[in-house]
Amino acid sequence: MPLITPLIGSQLVDLGSALLLLTCFGIVAQRRLSACVDLFAVQSVFLALTATLVAFLTGIHHIYIAAALTVIIKAIVIPRILKRVIERLNVTRELVMNVNVPSGLLICGGLVMLAFFITQPIIPLGFLLTRDSLAIALAIMLIGFFTMIARKKAVTQVIGFLVMENGLFLGASAAAYGMPLIVELGVFFDVLVGAIIIGIYTHRLHDAFDSVDTSKLTILKE
Amino acid sequence: MTGTSVAPVAIIHGTPIVAAMLSLATTRAPVLHGLNLATMTALVVSELAIVQRVLEQGSFTSLWDFVYLDALSAFILLIITAIGFLCSLYTWSYLDDYVARGAITPRRVSRFFFLFHLFLFTMIAATTANNLGVLWIAMEGTTLATVFLISFFRRREGFEAGWKYLILCSVGIALALFGTVLTYYSSVRVLGDVSAAMNVTTLQDVAHQLDPHVLKLAFLFIVVGYGTKVGLAPMHSWLPEAYSEAPAPVVAMLAGVLETVAVYALLRSKTIVDHALPEHYTGNLLILFGLLSFVVAALFILIQHDYKRLFAYSSIEHMGIAMAGFGVGGVAGTFGGLFHLLNHALAKSLAFFSAGNVHRRFGTREIKDVRGLMTVQPVTATAMLVATLALVGMPPFSTFLSELTIVSALATQSFSSDTLHLGRFLTIVVAHDVRSLAIVALFLLFMVVLFGGFTYRVTSMIWGPPPDGVKRGEGWEVGQVPLVVTCVVLAGLGLTLPEPIRGLMDQAVHIILSAR
Repeated sequence: MPLITPLIGSQLVDLGSALLLLTCFGIVAQRRLSACVDLFAVQSVFLALTATLVAFLTGIHHIYIAAALTVIIKAIVIPRILKRVIERLNVTRELVMNVNVPSGLLICGGLVMLAFFITQPIIPLGFLLTRDSLAIALAIMLIGFFTMIARKKAVTQVIGFLVMENGLFLGASAAAYGMPLIVELGVFFDVLVGAIIIGIYTHRLHDAFDSVDTSKLTILKE
Repeated sequence: MTGTSVAPVAIIHGTPIVAAMLSLATTRAPVLHGLNLATMTALVVSELAIVQRVLEQGSFTSLWDFVYLDALSAFILLIITAIGFLCSLYTWSYLDDYVARGAITPRRVSRFFFLFHLFLFTMIAATTANNLGVLWIAMEGTTLATVFLISFFRRREGFEAGWKYLILCSVGIALALFGTVLTYYSSVRVLGDVSAAMNVTTLQDVAHQLDPHVLKLAFLFIVVGYGTKVGLAPMHSWLPEAYSEAPAPVVAMLAGVLETVAVYALLRSKTIVDHALPEHYTGNLLILFGLLSFVVAALFILIQHDYKRLFAYSSIEHMGIAMAGFGVGGVAGTFGGLFHLLNHALAKSLAFFSAGNVHRRFGTREIKDVRGLMTVQPVTATAMLVATLALVGMPPFSTFLSELTIVSALATQSFSSDTLHLGRFLTIVVAHDVRSLAIVALFLLFMVVLFGGFTYRVTSMIWGPPPDGVKRGEGWEVGQVPLVVTCVVLAGLGLTLPEPIRGLMDQAVHIILSAR
């Protein structure tokens, strides 16, 4: 008798994915920038736990490496970079948004339903263990995308992008049991370099525009 | 495998990396330019060796199966290295001029070449990658390498354009990664968890067994994702801003080469998913995005008052034409599409070279402030005129031939399917004769609109009396060489297509159509 039966294993993976989705809603509802960064870090930890679970249940070892990298890069390094940016630029709260919080949450609920609807025809093809995670992964991507549209501060837009990346990673590790190691390493490298570049760039934007409010970026028009 | 056959592949990947590192070591401009030219020469020579090998023995893998080269990737590599070489010559005069004026410090020149060589490396890696995941990593790498090149002059507008480019392209390309993951998801079910399940060589063999539902969704994400990088409407909004702000040699590379590489990523995915999908699914998607881009760009060209943005919208338009060619498929459409990629790369880099010269002399990007270019800068004016005529598809330039091929493919190709499926929700039903007629009519109508709008804007800059206070006459320098060479090549390709290039393109067409 194995320690965890396939059914319980599958439910645990679903639980992990659901927790990831929950933190997404937290990010959408949160106005304080540093709290958004914290929520992103928590989400990355959940992601690493889910990936570890998948690695344990399937015995595919390279997912462990990816999970460890997730903790180091997405839960520790990138949140630190973002916190330093927030500190240096002295922005703490997002006061004006393109979409207010209650309607934002409603839209995100709709996005989750949309994600399940789109993936419906392909879900039965998946592995039993991680079937529903693909739909949740797409939902997380869509919510990340929505966050980028709904918020104006450069920092929150970056968090939206990173949430999208988390959704992608969940999709890859849950639905296809992880991508080949070389690809995962490359993706982590790109995300890390991207975060560093964004960190430098928000600083330059701040110097040039005295603001990191992207709605001020309107010099270039038709 | 013998040592000689690995050498060109190793050189084409290794040289840009080494050159990037060496560029950081010195700030002396002549050394940097010499290094850059030496790098480009090495790249061109090794590319020629690769082309020869592909022509002799077809596709091959190298460097522990990481690199896969066939006629299609060799053809794209040809565009990268050729345009890259011309750019290097142009960059010499361009950067020296800015340093002489004190606009940038010599240290910035060294940074420029560092990023420029990394940019080259990521594009080469994307084109030669065997693994679809590595292809994605390299495409994201191109975005990261070019962000600081776009805001190179550190103007406010430059930072704004760079930010939009970074965010939009990163998001777009994240969607492409989801498409890649879905492709992998379907291949893992057939092959099991092996790292080769993402390799082009493996996928081509098992493609017909892959699940069509997953691949449909995957290709949709891939088109939107890499389409953002190509600059297809409606994901194009970063493009005019990045192209109008970046330094001229960088724009020439972005418009001429990077777009082509992004199209390559799309085509590579198409050759795989076509095996499993019903006929015309991928084609219809490409036609849809292609024609939309064409129409949107044609309308925006009419209202432009900035010549760099004018050329930028023309890029969107030409990528739309090429996409329509690949979408309609068949030997004619695909051949036309590939030929158009080559011609567009040449014509567009020529356009931006000349635009860079005009900007340096007049100090403005407004069309209405530039007059009498023929008197002020005769060589540049001629180059711009040639580029414009080529871009609106006038004979004897080669774009005329490729556009004609695509239009005739659109007109004659019989569409076996009468419905245009847009996702699962919207299906437009049209009789196929009416549809193909309507598409051709629309195409030709907007061609005329473009012709008028484009030539009117550019000719108003070329003739007339020059404004006061602008220095007249231009001397001969290294930077003029690529202008002359590109003009000659554009006209030459319009008269005759050399046998090696034709052979390469024929093989590439065969690869793209292998599923049909």
